[in-house]
Amino acid sequence: MATSAKGPANTRFRQDEKRRDSDHVSFLKHRGFRWLWIALALSAASIAGYVLIDQEPRPNGGTWYGYTLGTIGLGLILWLSLLGVRKRRINPGAWSLKAWTSAHVYLGLSLIVVGTLHTGFQIGWNVHTLAYVLMLLVIATGIYGVIVYATLPASLSANRKEMTRAQMLDALTAIDRQLESAAQPLGRAEADLVIAALGQDVFHGGAWGRLTGSYPRCATTRALNGMGGHSDETARVAALLAKRREQLAQIRGALRIRALLEVWLFIHIPLTIALIAALAAHVISVFYYW
Amino acid sequence: MAFLIRTIDFTAAGREIVRDRVAEQASLTVGRAAECDIHLPDLAVEQQHVRITTAADGTLAVEALGTLGFALDGRVVMDGVIDPRTGGEIALGAARLAVAREADGRTIITIRQIATDEGKGDTLRGFALASALPSKRAMSWVLAGAILLLLLLVPVASHLTRTPAKPDPTGKTPGTVLLDSAWTSGELSLKHHDLEDNCESCHVAAFESVQDETCISCHKDTGDHAPMGRLAKGSPALSPGDALQWRIAQGFGKEGPLGCVSCHSEHEGPKRQQAGGEAFCSDCHNTLDTRLTDTALANAHDFGKGHPQFRPAYYASFGAAKPVRAAPGAKPVERSGLVFPHDVHMDARGGAARMAVSLGQYGKPLECKDCHSLNADKIGFKEVRMEDSCEACHSLVSGRGVGGFTKLRHGDVKDLAEDLARISSGPRASAGPARQRPGQIGSGAPAYRADFGRPVRAYIGLSNALSAGGVCTECHLPTRGPTGQADLMPVNLPDRFLTSGYFNHEAHKKEKCTDCHAADTSKAAADLLIPDLKSCRECHLGATAVKTKKIVPSDCAMCHAYHLPAGQWTGLGSPKGPAPHYKPPPPAKTTVAAIAAKTKP
Repeated sequence: MATSAKGPANTRFRQDEKRRDSDHVSFLKHRGFRWLWIALALSAASIAGYVLIDQEPRPNGGTWYGYTLGTIGLGLILWLSLLGVRKRRINPGAWSLKAWTSAHVYLGLSLIVVGTLHTGFQIGWNVHTLAYVLMLLVIATGIYGVIVYATLPASLSANRKEMTRAQMLDALTAIDRQLESAAQPLGRAEADLVIAALGQDVFHGGAWGRLTGSYPRCATTRALNGMGGHSDETARVAALLAKRREQLAQIRGALRIRALLEVWLFIHIPLTIALIAALAAHVISVFYYW
Repeated sequence: MAFLIRTIDFTAAGREIVRDRVAEQASLTVGRAAECDIHLPDLAVEQQHVRITTAADGTLAVEALGTLGFALDGRVVMDGVIDPRTGGEIALGAARLAVAREADGRTIITIRQIATDEGKGDTLRGFALASALPSKRAMSWVLAGAILLLLLLVPVASHLTRTPAKPDPTGKTPGTVLLDSAWTSGELSLKHHDLEDNCESCHVAAFESVQDETCISCHKDTGDHAPMGRLAKGSPALSPGDALQWRIAQGFGKEGPLGCVSCHSEHEGPKRQQAGGEAFCSDCHNTLDTRLTDTALANAHDFGKGHPQFRPAYYASFGAAKPVRAAPGAKPVERSGLVFPHDVHMDARGGAARMAVSLGQYGKPLECKDCHSLNADKIGFKEVRMEDSCEACHSLVSGRGVGGFTKLRHGDVKDLAEDLARISSGPRASAGPARQRPGQIGSGAPAYRADFGRPVRAYIGLSNALSAGGVCTECHLPTRGPTGQADLMPVNLPDRFLTSGYFNHEAHKKEKCTDCHAADTSKAAADLLIPDLKSCRECHLGATAVKTKKIVPSDCAMCHAYHLPAGQWTGLGSPKGPAPHYKPPPPAKTTVAAIAAKTKP
C-alpha cells in the first residue's frame, strides 16, 4: 500500500492514544463521567416531571407520566441486562465495552429514581412491587459489585504473597506429602486424625464458609488439637499440621476475597433474569386487567 | 554428618524401585550436572542448582547457586532453612526432595518424581465461588420460571378457562381466577372493598379496560350528570396533550374522558372517592353558556365570586300543580294556601307564646322546632302536621261524646262535612241524669248552666266553618269548589326549596334559625323565608378563600353532587368522613328482588 508516510503513522498514533486512554481510565471515570452526567440528567428530569406534572387523582404507574417512566425503566432494564451479551461478543465495532459498562453502572443507578417514581410510592404484596423490589436488589448487588471491584483486588494480591493459586495448592501438597511420611510412626487415633486432615477437600466449607471465613469443621484444626503426646514424632506431625493450617488459611483467605468479589454476581444475574420475568408478568397483568 | 539419600523410581510396569545411598559429608549439591551429589536429569533444573549445607545447630541451609530459585514447601525462594525435625520439601523441576530426620540422627532426603499438571486446572477452578454455589443459569431459570408460572401463567390460564360468574354487587361471590390477587395494584376503595376477591367482577374481558356498562350493571340508580351528548358539548376542548392522551387511550379501548373510570380511579387504597375540586366543576361551568347556548344554567365558578342567585322552588299560584323556581333575585310571593303569620307565633311575649306557656306540651314560648323537625337526611324538614303542631292551640273539639271529646277531622272537607252533620243530628247531651227537683240546681253534676249555653258547635253549619271567620279559616283560605260549594284552598308546599343543592341543617346547628330565615318578622305565609346567596356568603366563600374563624372555604361539592340524583358529597378533606348526610330514598325493591321480578314472565 503506497500511501503517504504521514497518514498511516498518524492514524496509528491516534489509535494507540485511544487504546491507551481506554486501557488506563477506570470505567467509572470513562470520558469524564459522561454516563454519570447522563444518568443524573435523567434522574433530575424524572423528579422534575414528577413534581411539576399534576397527576389526577394521585401519581401512580397508571397515569401517562407513570406509563412514560415505566417504559423508560423497562427499556433501561432490558438494555442493561444486555451487558451480559455484549461482553461475550468480542468483535470489532464502534462499541466500547468500557463505555457500555460505565453506562450500565450509572444508568442502572438512575433506575432507582425512575423506578421509584414509577411506583408513585404505592407498595403492596403484588407482582408490581415484586418487580420493584427485585430491581432494587439487583441494583444493590450491583453497587456492592462496583465497591468490591474497586477495593478487594488489592487485598487479594496482598493475601497471595507472590504466590499463584497453583503454588498455594502445591505448597499444600508438599506439606501433605511430608505429613504422610511423618505420620507413619503414629498410633491409630492420631493416624486417623491425619487421614481425616489429608482427606478433607481443600475447598471444604461451602459458600458460607468462604464468605465468612469460618470453618468450624476443619479437619486440620481438629487433628492439630487432637495431637496428644510429646514424642518427637507427634511434635513433628503437629508442626506440619500447623504449617498445613497456615497454608490453608492463606488459601481460605484467597477464597474469601474471591467469594466476596464474586458473590454479588450470583444474586445480580439470577435476580436480573427473575426481574425480567417479573416485569413480563407486571406489564402483561396490568393490561390484562386493564 | 551424613545424609541418607533415597531415590524412589517407578518401572514402566509401575513397580517402585527404592535406592538408598549414604553421603558422608556436610553439604550436598543438587543439579543436572553429573558431578552433583544429587543428580537430577531434568532440563528444568540447572547444572548446579542448589546447595544443602548442615549448619551447626542441625538445621539445613538451602541456597540456590544460580539465578533460578527453587520451591521450598511450595514457595519459590532463593534460599531457605529447613529444620529436619519438622522436615521440608524442595521442589526442583519434577523432582521433590523431602527432607526429614531419621531416628538415628541422620538426615534423609527422599527423591521422588511427580507427574506434573495432574488435573491442576480443574483444581484451580475450585477457587471460584461458582464451585460452591449452584450455577447462575440454573438459579435464573428456577426463579424466572417460578415467577412466570405463578404470577402470569396460572392467572391467565384460569381466567381463560373459567366459567364467568355473574356480577355480584354484594361481593359475596369470590372470584374464580387463581392467584390474580397478586395482580392488584392496590386496595380497592372502601365502597368496593367487598369486591377485593373478585377481580373479574370489574375486569370482565382480557386486555379490555373497565367498561361503563360493567359499572352500571350494579350502579343502576346513579344518574348521569347530564345526557352524554350535552356533557360532551358542554365540556371545554381538551388541551392538545390531553387530546393526544385520550386518543391513544381510546385507541386501546379505554372509554373517553366521560367514562366512569376517568374520575373513579380505583386501587388507590381503602379510601372514599374524593369529590372533584372547584376547578373540576368550573372547567365546564365557568363558561358553560358559550358552549351550551341553550342551557338554563347560569355560569358558576367560585361560590364567593361567581355563583348565581338561589332560585328556590315555590308554588307561585294557589293550587298550582307544580312548584316553579324563582327568577334570580326576585322576591317570590308564595301561594301555599295557608294563613300563617310566623311573627305572631314567634313573638315571645305575644298571645301564642302565652298560650304555649299554659300548655303542658310546650310549657314555654313556641320555638321553631316545636313545629319543624329535621328529616333523617338532616337537609329537609318533615311535613308539619296539623294534629301534631297546631291542634294543641287551634282545637277542633266539637263536643263531648261517649268516650270523651269529639272533634272534627282535619285534612278533608268531606270528613269535616260528615263530622258536622253528626253533631247537628246527634242526640243532645241531656242536661242532667233525670228530672230535677226545684232546689237541686247547682248541687249536682252536670252543671246546670250548661243547659243555657249557646249551642255553638252543634249548630255550626258547614258553610259557617268554611267561610270567612269560620274555624277553618283561622289557618286556611276559603274558596269555592267547581260547583260553587264552600271549599278551602289546597295547601301546597314543596318538599325542598333548594332542589339542586344540599344544605345540611345539622352542620349549621350552632346558628339560630332566625339568623338565616327571617321568620320572626314575617307577617304572612306569602313570605318565602329561604335565605339568599348573600347570607350564605357571610361565612361561605369559594375554595380559594382563606380559612378564618368565620370564613369557610367552600368548594362546589359542599352543596352540589355530580350524579343526579345522588346524595351530597361527604367526608370532604378526610378519607374517612362522617356518615353521609343524605341518602337517596331506597328504591321500592332491592336490586336483587327487582332483577328477580323482571326475569319472571
